[in-house]
Amino acid sequence: MKRQISIGLLYSRTGSYRLISLACRSGVLAAMAEIEGDPALDLRFHAVERDPGGNLDRYAPLCDEILRQSPARHIFGCVTSSSRKEVIPTLDRAGGTLWYAAPYEGFEASDRVVYTHACPNQHLLPLLGWCFARFGRRAYLTGSNYIWGWEMNRLAREVITDAGGAVLGERYLPVGETDPTRLIDEIRATRPGFILNNLIGDSQYAFLRAYAALGREDPHFRPETCPILSCNLTECELAEIGADAEGLIAAGPHFDAEGGSGCTARSSFEAAAHASVWMLARLLADRPGAESLPISAMLDESAADRAGIDRRTHHRSLPVLIAQVRNGGFRLLHRSVPVAGDPYLAQGRAIPFHPQQLRAVP
Amino acid sequence: MKRQRLRSQNLGGARAIILHRPHPGLQALERQLAAIGLVVEQAWPDLPASAVAADFTFFDADDGHDSQFPWLPGQAPMPMIALIGSEAPGRIEWTLNAGADAQLLKPIGDAGVFSALLTARAAFEARKSLMAEIEELRRRLEQRQTVVRAVAALMGMGKTEDEAYAQLRGMAMAWRVSFEAAAERVVAMPRPGLSLRP
Repeated sequence: MKRQISIGLLYSRTGSYRLISLACRSGVLAAMAEIEGDPALDLRFHAVERDPGGNLDRYAPLCDEILRQSPARHIFGCVTSSSRKEVIPTLDRAGGTLWYAAPYEGFEASDRVVYTHACPNQHLLPLLGWCFARFGRRAYLTGSNYIWGWEMNRLAREVITDAGGAVLGERYLPVGETDPTRLIDEIRATRPGFILNNLIGDSQYAFLRAYAALGREDPHFRPETCPILSCNLTECELAEIGADAEGLIAAGPHFDAEGGSGCTARSSFEAAAHASVWMLARLLADRPGAESLPISAMLDESAADRAGIDRRTHHRSLPVLIAQVRNGGFRLLHRSVPVAGDPYLAQGRAIPFHPQQLRAVP
Repeated sequence: MKRQRLRSQNLGGARAIILHRPHPGLQALERQLAAIGLVVEQAWPDLPASAVAADFTFFDADDGHDSQFPWLPGQAPMPMIALIGSEAPGRIEWTLNAGADAQLLKPIGDAGVFSALLTARAAFEARKSLMAEIEELRRRLEQRQTVVRAVAALMGMGKTEDEAYAQLRGMAMAWRVSFEAAAERVVAMPRPGLSLRP
């Protein structure tokens, strides 16, 4: 006899970053179905869903609604740092937990959140290290105008400057802005060796389209000499972008590529969300009533180990994969052993990328 | 005063002492410090001698008093962060005199700890460099009398006051020392066999 446990879903199914939300959501739904069909587990999940529609101001009220109107204490949702920060006070009041399955900029370790995707020592630092050796240290930085872009670029600037490189320009677009003309003009004028792209959603699609056009006009701006780097572009947005994404180089903990991890998820968002639901299932299995506990009370030493969550930081160990878009899919270039999430970079910002840690995937 | 760019790293492995009686409310603080990468030690009512080598001190503003610290009020050798419950003016005043560089309000949650660490460190560094600058200025002020005596000695050799000042400045440049150090040398020279050529 399975216990039915309510969980909250708080993903935006419309709006600028809907494709990412939908990828996370399908990862959650797939894991729920697997758990339902697994006779070894004494539980099934029931989804209580709210859709903030990509509106930042809707997250906290809808999170509150789930926590008030249902017994759900675990919420799977949010794919932007600004929305995550909006719901944390609400979770604090109700003793809820957010399972956050998107990469983020680090410098957070809330007792109310489990961070199941990568943070900068698992994406940005290794990607920059990999890139320095191949494309030099002359960078142009861009991003959407909120915390993810600001903090990623701040950290990148520190790392690039410390490595003796140069930041030739840094420009932000408001979320949803689709005119990248000034960005392109500055890139054309400064001729960097690579571009770190922390744009999201429609702004990113418009930028990639314009940059591909620039590459047709001037061969310096082709992927062989000046690639675009990304820490959050995955398969879930490739179809929307089409051929303009060719040559982009991305870091992430999972790619749906040959030589992948054996997981069948179609993107790292889907994989992280899917893994999150399974982690919760393993934490709750054979522990009736545990679903009402705050996450900190559930994570004793052995439970944390079993679920694969670092008790101290609520982050995960994840491999670092670097892949390039070729012929509409990601082709794996490198894969590292799993690296523990280090949100405050307590291990320093030394680039955790050297040949001993990484093996080339042929 | 211009601040240096705030650098976020270097907290990994840093030592923090929490001077507070054992209390369940400290768990969130200890947890958060550990998540940030610090090694945490708790002490009450007195700081152990080893505290002098800690990188940060968190101290209870509610039940704290001066004799708990092995240093004079305001002279802590590391950044100090006050844990404030009661906002009574007397307690705030004591906290300020104790040398708080930043504060956290009780009950302490997981927000605010990282910014308190960075704020306290920046304030402590700024205070330290200001104190060094003041010390240097004070030293130069104390040498004012030496300068007056050196100028008087040079005037005694037939110079006007302006000429004596200019000559002293020329000596400082030739000797590559400060104006005050040149004055010290002039005063120290045996008179009347004073040789003015550097």
